[in-house]
Amino acid sequence: MSNRMAAGVLEYVTTLGIIAMEGRGFEYPTDMVAASNGRLYVANRSRDFGERGVRVTVLDIESEYYGTFGHFGEAAGQLISPMCIAEDSRGRIYVSDDYTHRISVFQPNGDFAYAWGVYGSAPGELNGPSGIALDAADNLYVSDTHNNRVQKFTSDGEFISAFGGAGDGDGQLNLPWGAHVAPDGDAYIADWGNDRVQRFSSDGEFVAAYGASGSADGELLRPSGVAVDERGYIYVSDWGNERVQVLDDKGGFVQSLRGQATLSKWAANFLEINREEGQARAKANLEQALDLPDADDPHTQSAYIERLFWAPMSVKLDSAGRVYVTEGNRHRIQVYRRIS
Amino acid sequence: MSRQDVELMAHLMRRAGFGATRDELDACVADGYDAAVERLLNPPDASWMGDFMVRRFDHEASGMINGPGSARSWLYRMVTSNAPLQEKMTLFWHSIFATGVPKVINGRVLSDQIGMFRRCGMGRFNELLLELAKNPAMIIWLDNQDNHSHAINENWGRELLELFSMGAGNYSEQDIKECARAFTGWTIANTEYMMVRSARDSDWPYGRIAYHFERRPEDHDEGEKTFLGRTGAFDGEDIIDIICRQESTARFISRHMYHFFVADEPPVPSWPYTPPRDIDAIDALVDTYFESGYDISAMLRTLFTSDFFKSDDVRYEKVKGPAEFAVGILRLSGEFEMPRREMILRYRQINWMGQELNNPPSVEGWHQGLEWLDTGALMERINFASEQLGDASKPGVRAMVERIAGGESDNRTPEALVERCLDQMGALAASDDTRSALLMLAGQEDGATEQNITQMLRLAAASREFQRI
Repeated sequence: MSNRMAAGVLEYVTTLGIIAMEGRGFEYPTDMVAASNGRLYVANRSRDFGERGVRVTVLDIESEYYGTFGHFGEAAGQLISPMCIAEDSRGRIYVSDDYTHRISVFQPNGDFAYAWGVYGSAPGELNGPSGIALDAADNLYVSDTHNNRVQKFTSDGEFISAFGGAGDGDGQLNLPWGAHVAPDGDAYIADWGNDRVQRFSSDGEFVAAYGASGSADGELLRPSGVAVDERGYIYVSDWGNERVQVLDDKGGFVQSLRGQATLSKWAANFLEINREEGQARAKANLEQALDLPDADDPHTQSAYIERLFWAPMSVKLDSAGRVYVTEGNRHRIQVYRRIS
Repeated sequence: MSRQDVELMAHLMRRAGFGATRDELDACVADGYDAAVERLLNPPDASWMGDFMVRRFDHEASGMINGPGSARSWLYRMVTSNAPLQEKMTLFWHSIFATGVPKVINGRVLSDQIGMFRRCGMGRFNELLLELAKNPAMIIWLDNQDNHSHAINENWGRELLELFSMGAGNYSEQDIKECARAFTGWTIANTEYMMVRSARDSDWPYGRIAYHFERRPEDHDEGEKTFLGRTGAFDGEDIIDIICRQESTARFISRHMYHFFVADEPPVPSWPYTPPRDIDAIDALVDTYFESGYDISAMLRTLFTSDFFKSDDVRYEKVKGPAEFAVGILRLSGEFEMPRREMILRYRQINWMGQELNNPPSVEGWHQGLEWLDTGALMERINFASEQLGDASKPGVRAMVERIAGGESDNRTPEALVERCLDQMGALAASDDTRSALLMLAGQEDGATEQNITQMLRLAAASREFQRI
């Protein structure tokens, strides 16, 4: 349950968020984007039918809260099951919805712009879209999850190309999730079911695969997200291992993080106001040793030990060298920064 | 392969699992009945859809703030498991050691208890009871965190004896007190913080935290206790050891097994005054309990291979519980080859039928048997079955329709069509009344069309036989 590194790249900065069924806070957040206007847009899938909790929450790194948009529903501008979120060069916010099979686009202030996407498996149709990422020309890559492919669209939804296909060979995909466009224009896809990250050229040609199935350093188990910085470091939210790994540009192991959350401003504020709870928490030992048959299972560890990553849904970068890890089951974002 | 063999196998698979398709039945019959029992007891393949798949597509089944996410995770397992008896036994223990969300207020903690039933529910009863005593959900459910050396709380001690092992009438009020004393100091870690959160239904700031079992020696009554005629400085383990030696315990558990797997017994509170329906069957199970060293699997083997289980007299005599009813249909329909948002609704539909998993009506669990059926619940059941089996876009239904329509036989009479429908629903041995109703429909329609077949499947699902097990 420790954080390990060969030559450390990341160090912990802070934690953002608190669980909340509506308004300020998150509920089962699925992804975030650090936008060019300095705001953080966090997609929340909520629980069960989600009538209250589905939304995009807007805040900044100082935990200033700016409101929500994209609430529950099937009408234009509404979301049922938001999965991933991205920003284009004009600051517009794109949200994929794996239930309505749509991509919804919002202005930076949350006003609805337009949406597109229809269910199906023909070119341009979607089945459970998850990861989304824009390239420098504002073309959108979409992990078309249940079609086991990635599709590339113009920003207004015009189909450009598709690549992938079901399988575990080079360039094939198994329920792809997170998507990222690296500074060099290559697309990186979290190939969830194949326990690896795959890299494709902008034409959809297979370039490389990183990671092998497992839990050792450099191995992956059901990765959910990937991001690549300008130096080529590959950051992977290694969802099945409940950790984040940093790989070098060849896929070599650099660092593994298991999580070290602290109280966010919103969390500290809650515990100050709710004193009985705050005082009881202060006396509690939240790092109890696990005496369980499955104590080695990271998902179990994270259910019992609050500071650890639990369901790291995505890893994202900002322009200031920060790395954001969105944790679905802990309803928060752990923020790290690059130190080398 | 005789029809008798197929129907007996169908009976076993309904009772020890959630039913089987006709193809599965044929494979089981080919291997023989005893081999099928052994495969149920020691499944060579216990695989299911898998945690990763469920957690990715159903977030609350991963984070488990509340009961429904925990229940859905279990439902996925019941619907797709290749070890159906393991899930059936988990359901069995959940019905007896009934623990619920209104007091535990933590879906993960409830799920951990269900996982413990899965892990220990077919092992030795003394080991299961010990795990139960240490189980955080049970500790909270029966207030053992308030059971202190200086001030005992009897809830756990009382229910352990009355509802979980021996049954009323086999111990004294003093035994309850002594039992409670032995379990003082058996609590959960961070009790104060967890109880404050629980009292406020607080999932702040970062969702639920699962509960650790903790023994606090400083809060344990080390004194001498006299329990069921024995005296010593007993701890909880000693009490469970003594309980498991009692014939009353063997009889109590045997009667529960008979009630769940063979034929309805009256509600537990009347057991002290009402003899078992089949005393010889109970005696056989009791003998196995002691001979095997309290081994639940050995008792199940005795039960499933017995004449009292195989008898024609007990077939279709028990009403399916809502969860087993719905799970059986979902296994037939194939709706959940992948996790789907619709599971949220399926879970609620099971609630509307009268069984909210992780939320039993009381510590006594659900009253079963005919009490499952009232007018509202029956309508829910029929609607559920009709919705599932009437939808030929579902892969399991599609496969059934194709087999029925194609058929190997050239016999296209309405009678043959009805037979094939009943057969595909798991070799359902329908009464003359059920057959007549289906024949009326088959005679009115034009041949083995998809619509005609799904109509027949829907009608058959409303039959007395399909509602029963």
